[in-house]
Amino acid sequence: MTGKYENKNLKPGSFPYIWERISHNTGAMVGIAVICLIIVLSIFSPYILKHNYSTINLSNAGALPSLDHPFGCDEVGRDILARVLYGARYTLSIGLLSTLFASVVGIFLGSVAGYFGGVVDMFLMRFLDIFQAFPQLLLAMTLVAIFGTGLDKCILALGISNIPGYARMTRANVLNIRSNEYIEAAVSIKCSTWRIITKHVVPNAFSPLIIAMAMGIANSGLAASALSFVGLGIQPPKPEWGAMLASARNYIRAYPHTVIFPGSFIMLTVLSFNLIGDALRDAMDPKLRD
Amino acid sequence: MDMEMNTNNLLSVRHLTVEYTSGGKTVHAVNGLSFDMDKGETLGLVGETGAGKTSIARAIMRILPDHATKSVAGKIIFKGRDILQLSNMEMQAVRGSQISMIFQDPMTALNPVRTVVSQVAEGLKLHHKLTKADATNAAIDMLETVGIPEDRSGEYPHQFSGGMKQRVVIAMALACNPEFLIADEPTTALDVTIQAQVLSLIKRLRDERGTSMILITHDLGVVADTCDKVAVIYAGQIIEYGSKEDIFDRASHPYTKGLFSTLPDINKRTDRLSPIKGLPPDPTQLSKGCSFQPRCPYAIGRCCDEAVELTEFTPGHYTRCCNIVIEGGVVECPH
Amino acid sequence: MSTLIEVQHLKKYFESKRGTVQAVDDVSLKIEQGTTMGLVGESGCGKSTLGRTMIHLQGSTAGKIIFEGEDVTHLKKQQLSKLRDNMQIIFQDPYSSLNPRFTVKDTIQEPLILSGKNRTKAELEEEAHRLMELVGIEERLRMSYPHELDGGRRQRVGIARALALNPKFIVCDEPVSALDVSIQAQILNLLMDLQDQYGLTYLFVTHDLSVVCHISDYICVMYLGQMVETCLTEELFIRQLHPYSKALLSAILPIDIHQKTERILLKGEVTSPINPKPGCRFAPRCIYACDRCAEPVELTEVLPGHFVSCCRVKEINSL
Repeated sequence: MTGKYENKNLKPGSFPYIWERISHNTGAMVGIAVICLIIVLSIFSPYILKHNYSTINLSNAGALPSLDHPFGCDEVGRDILARVLYGARYTLSIGLLSTLFASVVGIFLGSVAGYFGGVVDMFLMRFLDIFQAFPQLLLAMTLVAIFGTGLDKCILALGISNIPGYARMTRANVLNIRSNEYIEAAVSIKCSTWRIITKHVVPNAFSPLIIAMAMGIANSGLAASALSFVGLGIQPPKPEWGAMLASARNYIRAYPHTVIFPGSFIMLTVLSFNLIGDALRDAMDPKLRD
Repeated sequence: MDMEMNTNNLLSVRHLTVEYTSGGKTVHAVNGLSFDMDKGETLGLVGETGAGKTSIARAIMRILPDHATKSVAGKIIFKGRDILQLSNMEMQAVRGSQISMIFQDPMTALNPVRTVVSQVAEGLKLHHKLTKADATNAAIDMLETVGIPEDRSGEYPHQFSGGMKQRVVIAMALACNPEFLIADEPTTALDVTIQAQVLSLIKRLRDERGTSMILITHDLGVVADTCDKVAVIYAGQIIEYGSKEDIFDRASHPYTKGLFSTLPDINKRTDRLSPIKGLPPDPTQLSKGCSFQPRCPYAIGRCCDEAVELTEFTPGHYTRCCNIVIEGGVVECPH
Repeated sequence: MSTLIEVQHLKKYFESKRGTVQAVDDVSLKIEQGTTMGLVGESGCGKSTLGRTMIHLQGSTAGKIIFEGEDVTHLKKQQLSKLRDNMQIIFQDPYSSLNPRFTVKDTIQEPLILSGKNRTKAELEEEAHRLMELVGIEERLRMSYPHELDGGRRQRVGIARALALNPKFIVCDEPVSALDVSIQAQILNLLMDLQDQYGLTYLFVTHDLSVVCHISDYICVMYLGQMVETCLTEELFIRQLHPYSKALLSAILPIDIHQKTERILLKGEVTSPINPKPGCRFAPRCIYACDRCAEPVELTEVLPGHFVSCCRVKEINSL
């Protein structure tokens, strides 16, 4: 039976193929628009905004939103709008880079474990078990405590704590793909093991991971905020959203807007990635297609 | 069919039309199908994948997928009542106790987390309002009838082989002694020797209980073995209908004839088979003329333009082909 | 006619948690060049495993594989690569036998690229075009992906891929079982045409007796890893000697409604191939079973060219 997608000559799992499918999903389009907007604003905020994100002005401490300060001022008088927009850089970059790192390493380990099986599989999986024995956030905290605080250490710590998830998912996909006959066919036409893994296994194992990565960016962004909130991760006075929440924690009653705005942006970002992730899942699950 | 709606019929289907939506397009699965069934008769619905046979079965059982089904039209009169007009509650009472179904894939037709006896007993509790103990006993008897010993009745589906699972499915279908049974490719997923066992079981139970049956299959050998009447389905329509002898000895529609000549026959070793050229039509783009025309070796001009009606050309033998009709009252098939 | 490929006492055992699965147990057969050997049996009999072991897609546990007179059972990488040029396989499932991310062109060209003959891009295109024409795939489908093609066309792509290395021997593992009846005939005809044109030798694995009757010259019947009967195809359909073959053939439902067959219904279910009891594995379901069935059985030539492994074959058939 041919549907409206089946006639289009698009490579399964490729970007045009995915775009074709999610472009009809309102939630995904909204999510993508919001993320793009946040990115653009974050990049250009120091040039277009009146106030700087780090200028302290105690006379404005706790000022409510006004025309001059659309989001108001925080407990030491810094403009919240500028801080929130600048702070997006941290959340987004940690989210994206740690996910990228975790997925590249995870896909490699998972593919090797899944394709070769046997001792290699057992060894790798038990090794990853060590990492998975810790709750993810606690593991990230421990790693940060070892590596130190700062943007790059945060990315590394969150990346490492996420590797086992991607590795296992890839391994499961690879086990599935290995049972397909085209892998046997590749062996019979003299394909080398390396070529089979890179050309036949990984490209097909990768597609389902895209959903996990979209959700993973959201989770890592959230985890970054959590780390900063407890004082690990990005330290104040840097305007990372979690750090902003930590500083504003004592002033919830007096100056609620200092908590509401950074919190809302965390929520908005995570929600956007989740909407994109859901749309991807719907788009790529053949059973949901009709 | 232009037959009078005979109230003695057990089942009368009139102008059944089923449409699905798929990726924005409409799939015309069943297109104005009509047939009758008498009590005690076995009708074979023969056709290839995508012909619409399973859709017919699901329409009768009212188990078409809600989210994908665009429309269902026509009448399905069962024992004087139009099934398509019944409420869900009323249909619940019919399904399982008066009309039952045997599904194709025994691996997925059984619930893996319940024992086989509980699955057979479920229908009995629901329809015959038996207590758990009575239902269980009746279920055990039913399982014995299909060849599953009592000491295995408390086991789970994964502990049985494919053939035995199918027997459980048959037990479930026949537990409440329905008058009408729909068997959707009941032996396709089974090995040849197991197929023989299961078909023999189905026939025995059918004969003992006088159950009327629709048997859906693509295997003409199964039809020859089990059915009284045959309807050949192509692109959601009946293109030939008749008794088993009419279809097997005197097939008249080019598709039916094509089907027979395309099958390797162990009694006739030919050098090359004669396949039907081309592919089945796209159900989202059916033409208004004859749906078989692009593949028909006998097609003429009017085959593309006009829709052909199902016409009776010998008593009880109907065909949907204009070549025969042109000939008028000629009984001998020009092909 | 010379023997192209032969296996002697081939065994393939798998280790599993519940014990050793004896998938193929002491099977010997010969296939003459240019002929088709049909391998029939029901699910679990080991026919697919035998086919794959013969072409080194799986390693054998014991026994010999002889190709064109040479013992090819244990080969080094270099020699195996050369052997693969000669032995190919066509798979059953047209859906999982093609990489969903490869176009038709990619799938057909891949073996050409890996063949070791350094062809230029133009030569690759030309060769792929030739193969597509040979198997009957329209040129316009060159850049199509598998999900855009129907089962019959996908199977043709699989056949083109198998032919790319110019093999002498092809294992056809149920190549038409997953196809619609009207397409089956097209593919069977194609396989037969290719055999005539190129002198190919086939091992045709199937459970469908009417298909194997049509396409094969010789037949082997397998049951639970053991070979029970082998002879010319015509002979098997005229008279079967082994009780299992009799049951198998009587289970075929004829299309001729006036033909009455005595159906032999086997009792019970197929026993497990894990740690099986010694002797004939069909004995638990056989109506002729006796005490001698527990002793190991050999394939013996009961009639000229007709081999059976049954201790009571002469009595049962009044020979």
